[in-house]
Amino acid sequence: MFNYIVRRILVMIPTLIVISALVFIIIQLPPGDYFTTYMNELQSRGEKVDAAKLEFLKQQYGFDKPMIEQYFVWATGLLVGDFGYSFEFSRPVSEVVGDRLWLSFIVSFTTILFTWMVSFPIGVYSAVRQYSVGDYTLTFFGFLGLATPNFLLALILQWMAFSYFGTSIGGLMDPQYMDAAWSVDKMLSVLEHLWVPVLVIGTSGTAGMIRRLRANLLDELHKQYYITAKAKGLPPGKALIKYPLRMALNPFIADIGNLLPEVISGAAIVSIVLSLPTTGPMLLNALQSQDMYLAGSFLMFLATLTVIGTLISDLALAVLDPRIRIGGGAAK
Amino acid sequence: MKRRYLKFAAIGLALAMPAAAGAQMLVEPPSLAPLVEGGKLPPLAQRLPDTPVVLAMDQPGQSIGRHGGTLNTIMARSKDVRLMVVYGYARLVKFDRNLNLVPDILERIEVKDGKIFTFYLRPGHKWSDGQPFTTEDFRYYWEDVANNDLLSPIGPSALLRVDGELPTVTFIDKTTLRYAWSKPNPAFLPALAGARPFYIYRPAHYLRKYHARYNDTEKLNAKAKQKGQRSWAALHNKYDHQYKNKNIELPTLQPWVNTTEGPAERFIFKRNPYYYKIDRNGLQLPYIDQVIFSIASGKIIPAQVGTGQSDLQARYLRFANFTFLKANEKKSRYQARLWRIAKGSHLTLFPNLNVNDPVWRKLLREVRFRRALSLAVDRFELNQVIYYGLAIEAQNTVLPESTLFRKEYQKAWAKHDPSQANRLLDSLGLDKRNDSGIRLLPDGRPIEIIVESTGESTEEADILELVADQWAKVGVKMLTKPSQREVMRNRIYAGETLMAISSGLENGVPTADMDPSGLAPTEQVQYQWSKWGQYRESNGRMGQPIDMAAPKRLAALNAKWRLATGTAQRRDIWHEMLAINADRVFTIGLISGVLQPVVVRNNLRNVPVKGIYNWDPGAHFGIYGMDSFWFAPEAAAK
Amino acid sequence: MTDAPIEHYVNKAEFNPESAVTLTPEQERYYMASQWRLMWWKLRRHRLAVISGIFLAAIYLSIVISEVLAPYNLHARNTRYLYSPPQSVHLFDDGKFVGPFVYGIKASLNLERLQWTYSEDTSDVQKIRYLCVGDDYKGASYLFWGLFPGSFHLFCPAKDGQLFLLGTDRLGRDVLSRIIYGARISLTIGLIGIGISFTMGLTIGGLAGYYGGFIDAVVQRIIEVIRSFPSLPLWMALSAILPVTWSPILVFAGITVILGMLDWPGLARAVRSKLLALREEDFCTAAELMGAKPSRIIGKHLLPSFMSHLIASATLSIPSMILGETALSFLGLGLRPPITSWGVLLNEAQNISVVALYPWLMYPVVPVICIVLAFQFFGDGLRDAADPYK
Repeated sequence: MFNYIVRRILVMIPTLIVISALVFIIIQLPPGDYFTTYMNELQSRGEKVDAAKLEFLKQQYGFDKPMIEQYFVWATGLLVGDFGYSFEFSRPVSEVVGDRLWLSFIVSFTTILFTWMVSFPIGVYSAVRQYSVGDYTLTFFGFLGLATPNFLLALILQWMAFSYFGTSIGGLMDPQYMDAAWSVDKMLSVLEHLWVPVLVIGTSGTAGMIRRLRANLLDELHKQYYITAKAKGLPPGKALIKYPLRMALNPFIADIGNLLPEVISGAAIVSIVLSLPTTGPMLLNALQSQDMYLAGSFLMFLATLTVIGTLISDLALAVLDPRIRIGGGAAK
Repeated sequence: MKRRYLKFAAIGLALAMPAAAGAQMLVEPPSLAPLVEGGKLPPLAQRLPDTPVVLAMDQPGQSIGRHGGTLNTIMARSKDVRLMVVYGYARLVKFDRNLNLVPDILERIEVKDGKIFTFYLRPGHKWSDGQPFTTEDFRYYWEDVANNDLLSPIGPSALLRVDGELPTVTFIDKTTLRYAWSKPNPAFLPALAGARPFYIYRPAHYLRKYHARYNDTEKLNAKAKQKGQRSWAALHNKYDHQYKNKNIELPTLQPWVNTTEGPAERFIFKRNPYYYKIDRNGLQLPYIDQVIFSIASGKIIPAQVGTGQSDLQARYLRFANFTFLKANEKKSRYQARLWRIAKGSHLTLFPNLNVNDPVWRKLLREVRFRRALSLAVDRFELNQVIYYGLAIEAQNTVLPESTLFRKEYQKAWAKHDPSQANRLLDSLGLDKRNDSGIRLLPDGRPIEIIVESTGESTEEADILELVADQWAKVGVKMLTKPSQREVMRNRIYAGETLMAISSGLENGVPTADMDPSGLAPTEQVQYQWSKWGQYRESNGRMGQPIDMAAPKRLAALNAKWRLATGTAQRRDIWHEMLAINADRVFTIGLISGVLQPVVVRNNLRNVPVKGIYNWDPGAHFGIYGMDSFWFAPEAAAK
Repeated sequence: MTDAPIEHYVNKAEFNPESAVTLTPEQERYYMASQWRLMWWKLRRHRLAVISGIFLAAIYLSIVISEVLAPYNLHARNTRYLYSPPQSVHLFDDGKFVGPFVYGIKASLNLERLQWTYSEDTSDVQKIRYLCVGDDYKGASYLFWGLFPGSFHLFCPAKDGQLFLLGTDRLGRDVLSRIIYGARISLTIGLIGIGISFTMGLTIGGLAGYYGGFIDAVVQRIIEVIRSFPSLPLWMALSAILPVTWSPILVFAGITVILGMLDWPGLARAVRSKLLALREEDFCTAAELMGAKPSRIIGKHLLPSFMSHLIASATLSIPSMILGETALSFLGLGLRPPITSWGVLLNEAQNISVVALYPWLMYPVVPVICIVLAFQFFGDGLRDAADPYK
């Protein structure tokens, strides 16, 4: 078991390195750099720009060094916690990002919880009462959630929330709480605004989870040990909970690896549409203005979150499923 | 008799007393009263300059206001805190709402021959932290910033040079100074009054702490490294950015002071206790206690404004949002007004006279071709379809509100006349057509004009679609190529594009005393002749010299304007330049005077119902005096 | 003792020694059926999948004749009817049965709100025509596939009339027609994208699975790296790279390639694991011993064993491509006008004015949902059919 953990973690490191290199390359690919973008933006607003001053600034921030050197500086900085410098905000990235990572995490986490809480009972019910009206209806709604482009749903839901409940549009809380200290009112305001994003992001993940759970549980329900248990006189409910359900929990853990990237990217696009103070909008902004270090750090953060999430899910799966420990690899 | 005389004298004296001792009837803003009582702030009489600006509030639609209130508005990026400097519009000289240059921070200016500028500051004027604002602040800028090799490696800005010559700056006393050139510098005052102002002063008492001349250089460099900058010069530059408005410790003269350290979702600007204006009843301006900028994604701002989350909003609202905003007026308790965008033209086509392809270059330089293209555009349809008929169908020229306006400029070659367009094109020898009815160039290629755009607005895409159909009727095919702004610019500069679409004259309401350089080849960023503009910008090092007669004449006129010695002379030059542009159709203006929605909370007063919305001059809300806006109590809102 | 014989049955027919091993015709058909035939039989029983399959086939076929199905051509603009709401189809006018028709539209401009208001003109009955030829209303003629001029429509408005079944947009373009034309781009992206990812997944997964060892390790790392990336930010970043000087067609190709290139890991993983398992099977060893080359073994023996699974997985990936294109165009990073796809249409609908005032512009979301659902059901059916253990 220990071997397995160590191997798994060691394998993660080269992955992260490759990801960081990829991220860096991606950021550099669009033509131009932050300063050229900045200059164009100023000119487009009719403001005059001093070309010589921009050259001066470029030198000051090391943009005239070769690409490899810039990459190493950045990559090594990441390890130390120095994420580089954001030109748009004129301060280090770590200061800019601040609350956003935290809020991003909250939204993603709540969505995953929501997904679990909703898909679990529905999945169980669907499997146990297969081919019933309930099964068909619920599965259908699950599919519907999967098929609807969630960003469009986001705007519609927000407008309805405003029309019927008077919730302010955009953001995760009413404006007056934004810089205030945490209080009961602030929590309530957050909850009031949170349900739309979570609902929107969660729907597609829920559908997938329901189907996986249903399929796995159905497999287990047909197996011999379950029939034996029932034949031996165990009440069906208790038999269900004691045996097949544990097996069915497998996908919940195993699929975090799938669910996490989905949730994070779903969260990204929904927060762009709804203007939530999370990583999505800032990432889009940074990509468009080529604020290199900021965009790169965000991408790294999102990728690392996913890698770590997958690691945790693999480890949890190893704890849960002895076959994996012995076999030495997740059989996905 | 003598008694009556005495009585009159007494009455007269009594009337004169408040006026003379108007300073005595000063009204402290209630939000500052506790600080004054607690001794943290000196009383109002000591905070104002000896001669504050007294606003009579007698412009049409204005009324005397009350202190208090918080103004909420929404921005899309945290950089937008600089707009507080724009909206606050405290300048040495400023444009008033009729676009005349008047002294503002300065008490008085004397200009001799357009070459010698004497500035008189207000004695007793203080920065927002209570320190005096004197000519020392100008001296600090001139000697220790502009002429310091480390802080300004390229020397003082081009705005201070006339033909390369720097001014002679004399500091006569604590409130008087003089800038003198040997030739006229007509761009100097407008630059000081700009939306993004040209700062010739600094808060010396604050910045001096970071200047090597007044401190130990080594210690300063160490401190700079501590704060993550390479040297003291970098640190100084970081703190010294009055326009960016991010350094909350930097003293300012603006009506509201930034008190929120970025990055943040909400920026709070509190009133400047040492602001130098009062109204005629003695209330210290600004009326409004604080302004809050909330940051939200640009796309969602119209939705947020429609749901009543902004008290005053124009930025990030487009004409297309108006219907939605108007529909929610009652529910969200605001008024949706329409101001005119004061650009010379909202959307204009720029044929590239410097294009590399020789056949196209010859054709685009042919005035008949440009005139034909302009005649083929049905501006009426554009107006009706996209702007409900509320915009102005005109060429790219000045707007009717300008004193330089003439109807013939507006209508030049702007009538919808496809038959004349066809005749002009036939007369150019372009009468052969291919199977689809498109005319052919002399070398056999079909006339396909690819118009490059930045693809940022559906408005542009829609207009181009309509124009494409209109041009097809005279045998010219148009294709659009949406691009990114920077990529498009680079292609234009390199001569690879045929035509681009963008906004027209930046300043559509000029007076004769404003800079006409937009009408002549002066900058690379002018899409119709970017290589000639680059030539002038780089003083002949890059680009190409002008090789067409009319643009040469425009450049000569532009130079002449700078040397002109009177408004009448300048006006003549302006008219000649406008006439040449109208006649030669160097740019094809499509539509101007497009309306800008401005959302105003029901109880926010002194905001004009109709105004112009322009960056320079105009500063968006600046010229209308945002410091004079005030909130009436809610009960009176309806 | 009574000597009656015990009643028993004796088969008088000839003894056929092969009766145990001969198959009846039905059995023969069943046992001799190829793998694909078995799959087809099983699929047939899954009714939902069959319906979805038919629906998908119909939609894909309709792409070929979009010009005929749409009442207006792609660029038809009717500047007198901007933001017109959907017209309702009536059957009875004043109590008399007239057949399907719409009323004419009366337009007026509300200058205070700057909004066009429309009402039905009950005096103007416009019967819907069917199988019409002729250029007698605005937007009737088109270039079939951009090449052949024509004007044949399945159904069209009355002469010089209007038929806006799903309303019009800000330039007066019929929403229904644009949705029909948009299908061409959106659905093709799905197909081409899946083609790319299928090929890549098959080749790379196949090589990794068959050769194992070092190649396998490298491929696994690559797969893991790509899968760890949340898809949307990666798409955003990659789309920001596409040179914007490219013509819309090239951008379309570029987006397809990007979507395809980011999707193959899932397929490659499945291929790899199956190959790893099957490689040890006897039939494979036998082929090797008989001297078959690796390509023959992979191509003729291994692949067919799980091709069905692959097809099922591929079918289930198409919806994610379609949704991906929709998402990218929605964000403004994918396709842009003048190319019309469902994503582009939804992008134009993504603002508060539409949600609050002109909700019919959001109709393009309906075909997206239907197609995705259809692919899901069909793919599910395929997967169930391909699984021999059920």
